[in-house]
Amino acid sequence: MKRSTFYLMLSAIIPIAIILCAAPLLLGAVKVGDPAPTFTATASDGKTYKLADYRGKYVVLEWHNNGCPYVGKQYNSGNMQKLQKQWTNKDVVWFTILSSAPGKQGFVTASDENAYISKMQAAPTAALLDPSGEIGHLYDAKTSPQMVVIDPKGVVIYDGAIDDKPTTDLADVPGATNYVSLALEQSMAGKPVATPATRPYGCSVKYSDSSH
Amino acid sequence: MTGRKSRAAFRRAVILSVAMVAVCPSRAHAAGAPIPHGTLELIAEKQWIAVGHPFNLALRFELEKDWHVYWVNPGDSGEPPRVTWDLPAGIKAGAIEWPAPRRLGTPTIVDYGYEDAVTLVIPMHADATFSSQSPVQIAANVKVLVCREMCIPGKAQVSLTLPVKSQPPPTNSQSTHFFTEARKAWPRPVPASWKFAIAQTSDSFVLTGNLGHKITDAIFFPLAESQVSNAAPQTLVPTATGFTLTLRKSDQLLKPIARLKGILVLSGEQPYSIDVPIGEPGGAAGAISSKQIRDQSIPESVSAQYNF
Repeated sequence: MKRSTFYLMLSAIIPIAIILCAAPLLLGAVKVGDPAPTFTATASDGKTYKLADYRGKYVVLEWHNNGCPYVGKQYNSGNMQKLQKQWTNKDVVWFTILSSAPGKQGFVTASDENAYISKMQAAPTAALLDPSGEIGHLYDAKTSPQMVVIDPKGVVIYDGAIDDKPTTDLADVPGATNYVSLALEQSMAGKPVATPATRPYGCSVKYSDSSH
Repeated sequence: MTGRKSRAAFRRAVILSVAMVAVCPSRAHAAGAPIPHGTLELIAEKQWIAVGHPFNLALRFELEKDWHVYWVNPGDSGEPPRVTWDLPAGIKAGAIEWPAPRRLGTPTIVDYGYEDAVTLVIPMHADATFSSQSPVQIAANVKVLVCREMCIPGKAQVSLTLPVKSQPPPTNSQSTHFFTEARKAWPRPVPASWKFAIAQTSDSFVLTGNLGHKITDAIFFPLAESQVSNAAPQTLVPTATGFTLTLRKSDQLLKPIARLKGILVLSGEQPYSIDVPIGEPGGAAGAISSKQIRDQSIPESVSAQYNF
């Protein structure tokens, strides 16, 4: 290799390496009690959604990957759809968020997602397309399904797992304690959320930087 | 196609498939049950069970290149293998001896596990009620999540039949090397002269190790989930007699904890079990010698679960 080519490559690689290494430091993880970071996103229905427009309502964020067996457990059992219907009927805004990068498991086009929603009879307010992983990184989402609940003041009141059974077994759905419903029920009743943060279980979110 | 022709074609296809399976070379001999992208086998260290003596079995996972399974604390995603046993009366299975894991994943999502292959040893106990003279069958029902870029859950039942004799059993030459290899990766107790302490700030734990010599490479694997941020860099500062290692607290850690337990790997290869009390925020670090650590009994529920 010519020396000039080598230095050219080095000058390209070093900034990238610095950005990648610094990424975890730069990403302020969302903490329960903090204001929810705002975002604007295009959904599979073609509309644009701004989190800030929903101040005054409860908002649920659901990280999704249709190839992940932990997500499959919630959808094939009908549990996620049931939760979506139950809470959107109570004026809760429910955003399914798709942070898989192009070429990675769970990446979908708008029409793929619309077909999935119709086939699974899912009922989110909207499915937000996040192929750049921007919203995912903003919330430091680690897994699908990871769940975040935001209160009407725009404060994060729950961040973590969907329930207390970190398995792929459909049989574990009926006996599980659902942390999202608990957070919503407690907060709506004017009580503090008893379990505001848990380890989100599931598949890692398939960001563009995921080599594994 | 007529019914007769299609039946004949079907018969030819069946014969061809059977023939292909028959000539298939190593597959037919490959021991172990299939799991996603790998195989699982239940192996015994010794050739038979000696009445009144403990013995070791192991789950041997062999995976295709770059696929992995998880440690007892899987980190940011995934889940550890889970076992339920079908055992003859009088035989009890102990807890899995987990070898030190590796950090897997990406800059933002860090998991703990084993790539390519791992041997999980399980100590077994044959108590006084065990009185079989004839060979016994032992089966393990295993649920395991196997991941590379994506994750696939698998289930397998693996079993073996072991003779029962009164004389001491010789080692099993087929499998003994897996047990030897596994033991090398087990965390060992820390030497009596080593001292550890943990101080804390609002967002970090600072582990200080006093080993009598400078340490330039150390990594900590927290035994429990949701105590230490998995993806945050662990900052090591070598000192003349050891090191300090700064571990960012997990965002899921909402209540104070009294101790931090886990595996400390020095110089990339030597794993040690540590269990260190945590000082009050802003106060002096809870200093304790490693001898005290070893003498302190770990609560039964924890030792039963993790076998530390």
